[in-house]
Amino acid sequence: MGDIFSNLGLGFSVVFQFVQWTPAFLGGVSIPIPVNILLCLIGALVGTLVGVLPGIGTIATVAMLLPITFGLPPVGALIMLAGIYYGAQYGGSTTSILVNIPGEAGSVVTALDGFQMAKKGRAGPALAIAAIGSFFAGCVATVLIALLGAPLTRVALAFGPAEYFSLMVLGLIFAVVLAKGSVLKAIAMIVLGLLLSMVGSDIETGASRMAFNIPELADGLGFATLAMGLFGFAEIIRNLDAGGETDRKLVQEKVSGLMPTRRDLKETAPAILRGTVLGSILGILPGGGAVIASFAAYTLEKKVAKDPSKFGHGEIRGVAAPESANNAAAQTSFIPLLTLGIPPNAVMALMVGAMTIHGIVPGPQVMQKQPDLVWGMIASMWVGNLMLLIINLPLVGIWVRLLRVPYRLMFPSIVVFCCIGIYSVNNAPTDVMIAGAFGLVGYWLIKHDFEPAPLLLGMVLGPLMEENLRRALLISRGDWSVFVTRPLSAVLMAIAATLLILAVLPSLRKKRDEVFVESEN
Amino acid sequence: MNATPGHAPVKSIMPKWVRNPQEFVGGIALMAIAVFALWASSDLQGMRGFSFGAGTAPRMFGFLLLGLGALITVVGIFTEGPHLAKYHWRGPFFVTVAILTFAFTIRTMGMIFAAMAAFLIAACGSPETRWTETLIVAVCLTAFCALLFPYALGLPLQLLPTFMIR
Repeated sequence: MGDIFSNLGLGFSVVFQFVQWTPAFLGGVSIPIPVNILLCLIGALVGTLVGVLPGIGTIATVAMLLPITFGLPPVGALIMLAGIYYGAQYGGSTTSILVNIPGEAGSVVTALDGFQMAKKGRAGPALAIAAIGSFFAGCVATVLIALLGAPLTRVALAFGPAEYFSLMVLGLIFAVVLAKGSVLKAIAMIVLGLLLSMVGSDIETGASRMAFNIPELADGLGFATLAMGLFGFAEIIRNLDAGGETDRKLVQEKVSGLMPTRRDLKETAPAILRGTVLGSILGILPGGGAVIASFAAYTLEKKVAKDPSKFGHGEIRGVAAPESANNAAAQTSFIPLLTLGIPPNAVMALMVGAMTIHGIVPGPQVMQKQPDLVWGMIASMWVGNLMLLIINLPLVGIWVRLLRVPYRLMFPSIVVFCCIGIYSVNNAPTDVMIAGAFGLVGYWLIKHDFEPAPLLLGMVLGPLMEENLRRALLISRGDWSVFVTRPLSAVLMAIAATLLILAVLPSLRKKRDEVFVESEN
Repeated sequence: MNATPGHAPVKSIMPKWVRNPQEFVGGIALMAIAVFALWASSDLQGMRGFSFGAGTAPRMFGFLLLGLGALITVVGIFTEGPHLAKYHWRGPFFVTVAILTFAFTIRTMGMIFAAMAAFLIAACGSPETRWTETLIVAVCLTAFCALLFPYALGLPLQLLPTFMIR
């Protein structure tokens, strides 16, 4: 127990670190500046700002804003990125409540009751309860991460390469099973990602693989490049198809009376609690995380409610539960990343990309060698949530105005912003072209109902998987059975196989689709 | 990421026995990618005894993708599904040209020119573009980026064309 407090203490001391700033114009007087808090605040603000823009999901937001953190020290950069992530998520729920355009899959359910509430002039309480629920969920999740962090790291350190490989297989299978859409296609996307990650030089022999003597490919496809192409550019092109101006009916009623009534709070308290618990659990599991959590929380609320017919007509619990679950899952999904070094979803994959750019290899070693980084990030999560609560409620008016920015002006801006961002990573024009190519690939994938998110996950896990597979087989002298003879690895593999079989079975498939479909209708 | 498959009764170029063209074409494309990757990694060394060569993992994933692509193609033949989605050329075309323009001009012409050009070309991608407001926003955004990236974020970006710096 004492461990946890000292760890959290360390984390908060990192977050509340003051740096003396001695500007020349003050004549040697130095002012203490809480750099990390400021970064967290800026991240949350910018994240919300971009997340609010319709048609830009969380992944796209984080991918687009990745380059602006490159110039920062690692701790600051990760704190800011985490802030961007929460901000983007909150921005997504704001758009779904106010305009009925969920920026991302996770806030689809929020739009159901949230938009109805907004139509009745109760947008204020809906936004407030979303923020309050998120904050509560965030607090619980922060404590949970602190509790589970150290023991899970110890487990992870006992893992050999065979266990690691099996764990990654399990993670990928989870990601497929918990996500929406065809299991087969999702697996194909993961394998395509794995294949793309092979481009570049081989870790052991240094041989150039599939690089076609293009110098920019010698180091492999840039992760940020690929992500921005697949998510930034592809989404722009896709939105242009749909006609950017269609169905953007903004709620015209003024957003007034922000605070929810006492009755609202009393009604939503149990819903927030249920959502938090459900979200925390689902978030730890690799895979859909936030998305499945919000769908499941909504379905659960509907099941336990005395009068389920109220849902879909502006029921405040229908906003509170999925929003809490969403946020809880978003945070607990950091657990596998920080302790095991395995990103459970596409956003976390982007975090890995950011860490790698700063020279940090995520995994259990980070927890031991750079505790300030890990615990600083965990503490910053709580601070970030508090900031969202404080900054977002007064700023709702600004966000609403932002929603009125027409798409015809927005999309060229995003194109330019992404171009500069990609270019600034390596100062390489080729990277920009590669991202453009992947933009077209992403557009094609979307058109054929292939999800690009698993591709990203495969791309990040590729090198890790190959390395561990090679090592495991080297240790076992080429004996493939090590994956099933080592007990821990065998258990992980068995779970993965069972999950996969269950997911393909028709009866369970139907259940899984039901969770998604029922909430949509 | 919900793509809306085109429901319009487009005249299908697919033979009749393909009942789910979306998946059918998708699967074939994946197989093509897999074959390409297998060809591209064919010059790499394979297994050496029981240790992996540089080409082992790429080939493994390549064959896996080939198999999955085949499976998706088969599914595409035997299940009902939507027609091929309709593609639009305007958006993708101008956005791509904008990106390429940026990539080709950034080194020589500097960020201000590249960003402006990319913005204006990308704007052609939408029929709703009105030029006065677009120009104003383009100038504002370029100015914002010119301040944000090199100054606020400290990234080494060249703002002006090379010939003007000399």
